[in-house]
Amino acid sequence: MGMGGEKEQVRYGDYLSRISVSFQKLSYNAITPRPELAPDGTEKPYSPPKVKLRVIDFYHILRPYIGSRLEEQLKAVVPLALYLVCFQTLVLRVNIEDPLVIFAGFVSVIGGLVLFMEGLKVGLMPLGEKLGDSLPAKASLPVFIIITFLIGVGVTFAEPAVGSLNIAGSMIKVENAPYLHALLNKWQWATVAAVGAGVGVSAVLGSLRFVHGWGLKPFILIATLPTLALTVYAMGDDRIKSVIGLAWDCGAVTTGPVTVPIVLSLGIGIARMAGKGDYPLSGFGIVTLASMIPVAAVLALAIYLAETVPAEQIIANANTAETSNSHASGNFFERPPFAEMLEGLQAVAPVVIFLLLIVRFVLREKFKEPQILAYGLTLTLLGMMLFSVGLTYGLSKLGAQYGALAPAAFTRIEGLEGSPLFNWWAGMLATVAFAGLLGFGATVAEPALSAIGMVVEDLTNGVYKKSFLIYSVSFGVGLGVIAGMLKIITGVPLAYLLIPGYALALILTVFSTEEFVNIAWDSAGVTTGEVTVPLVLVMGMGFSGALGIDDGFGILAMASLFPILTTLGAGLWIKWKISRSHL
Amino acid sequence: MKDAFNEKKITALTDVALITCVVQRGMADEVIKAARDAGAQGSTVFYARGYGVRERLGLLGVAVDVEKEVVNIVVSTDQANRIFEKMSVAAKMDTPGMGFMYMTHLDKAVTYIPPEVLEKLQPKC
Repeated sequence: MGMGGEKEQVRYGDYLSRISVSFQKLSYNAITPRPELAPDGTEKPYSPPKVKLRVIDFYHILRPYIGSRLEEQLKAVVPLALYLVCFQTLVLRVNIEDPLVIFAGFVSVIGGLVLFMEGLKVGLMPLGEKLGDSLPAKASLPVFIIITFLIGVGVTFAEPAVGSLNIAGSMIKVENAPYLHALLNKWQWATVAAVGAGVGVSAVLGSLRFVHGWGLKPFILIATLPTLALTVYAMGDDRIKSVIGLAWDCGAVTTGPVTVPIVLSLGIGIARMAGKGDYPLSGFGIVTLASMIPVAAVLALAIYLAETVPAEQIIANANTAETSNSHASGNFFERPPFAEMLEGLQAVAPVVIFLLLIVRFVLREKFKEPQILAYGLTLTLLGMMLFSVGLTYGLSKLGAQYGALAPAAFTRIEGLEGSPLFNWWAGMLATVAFAGLLGFGATVAEPALSAIGMVVEDLTNGVYKKSFLIYSVSFGVGLGVIAGMLKIITGVPLAYLLIPGYALALILTVFSTEEFVNIAWDSAGVTTGEVTVPLVLVMGMGFSGALGIDDGFGILAMASLFPILTTLGAGLWIKWKISRSHL
Repeated sequence: MKDAFNEKKITALTDVALITCVVQRGMADEVIKAARDAGAQGSTVFYARGYGVRERLGLLGVAVDVEKEVVNIVVSTDQANRIFEKMSVAAKMDTPGMGFMYMTHLDKAVTYIPPEVLEKLQPKC
């Protein structure tokens, strides 16, 4: 080992032992306890004393624990925010309004997500798993269906991105689209409840699918066709035409970080009970249904509203509510940021309490580590409160600003000097391409997608690479965002894009294998996470507001549709390539 | 050395030691990097669950993952102490809840040894 040139030969081991730290030896016998006898002569079971920690130990334990979780959220949020800020200051050359408030908002988003995700992991998820493990065994089928349905409703309210509907609602003028305004303001609870009911039905159907081992293809047909039919019906009704975009966007809102893991853990528990847990994709499918059925539910609610409440009444109601609101700001809880915190608490507390009650009184199970569970649930609540504040002051504020200013690149905007900044085509293309890149970038970094990618690679023995799935889905999201932006700019009704799009998706579905159908339809729901949804939703609202168009929804709907097409297409292409190489 | 009845020859390595290091899920890569930098030639990781200090930390136990990674590294006895030391520093073994590691002496080990190395060390008799 490089000693050849020297005269004196030293054994390598001796050399090493010289440069090493000296080890201090301690007999383990000096530490381990000796058996103690109880007064009656039997041996007492040993219980170790609590560890006494020095301050430095706290630091050493907590630093990697907090650090790794903080890093995860920073990676998800900061690039997106920087990208938007750069576009606004460098391309549009407009300074960020209220930079300190937005900065504080983003700090609160990141802090909130760190707490919420950790709370989800140590609090809500174990509860969901416990439920999934023992509910099918201990409850009869009807009880089981009711509980699953209620959990579906509860998790929808707890979804962080749902809060952004509120903000989007405040950006709509009631005169232009009364029913859309009603669904997002006075009837907002009903909208969320309709979405929740949709998720609940999906959870029940998905669970039954596990128990009986039904394929996903017929379910997709059964869920998609009525939804498309309702969309066509809504198209023909001038009063509720404006609701279509919102309804389809709701599908993307539901499939977030709370719904997916809890509903999945329920489903997996059931699959295990039914003895069908070996099928590697058994968890899939619920997400697909949960992003389709709520759309139908919201459309149905809109149709019901249109039939029962006249538009004039909604406009009158909204106007009186506005005037009374401006007077009632004296109350402590209605002042920001306490209002947002209260909202956050109201969103999560019901599902937490419901899950606890079910596990305690229906399943009669004890919690193994109650203090850790309590810690997790507290974190979930605190995290959601903090996130709600950040949602209003960080994500939405920046998204709305960007959305309102972006059209200045290609069209005239009131109050912005020098607009349009570029000629129509160049500016429009730049803005749309920028948004597309944003969608692509946000999706590539999505951890949920990377997890699905791993499963897919295993399942197809490496034919369908993980990176290939990630890129085909991300490419789809990018295209979808572009399509959504073009829809807003050109004013093409969303249904003209949705109906042929989903028709094509259904055709591709018929020709694809069961595995790919699962993967492709689920990846669409998974891609739109808790940071992207509010940002894109509010950006679209601001964008359309600046262009003088009422309906700013639809970007998320497009961003859910296109990944299905690209993933199914890519799957079929690979299948074709393999079959050709075997000839 | 040549066996008249069997052409196949096995070269067994002696002076080998096994270092086993139990760390929290996700920490193995760092420990392996330290070991490789110090001259370890290979490593095996498997997943496990472990209990110990976590249960004695009370609420602070949430910061310690129950899921563990077990790193197995076979080293030569000359390297052993140095690699053991580097690994224990990289794994921050002096912090509560970080894990456990130990070294055992092995009788012999067999693996692929590049032929040119064999030829250099064992000239034909």
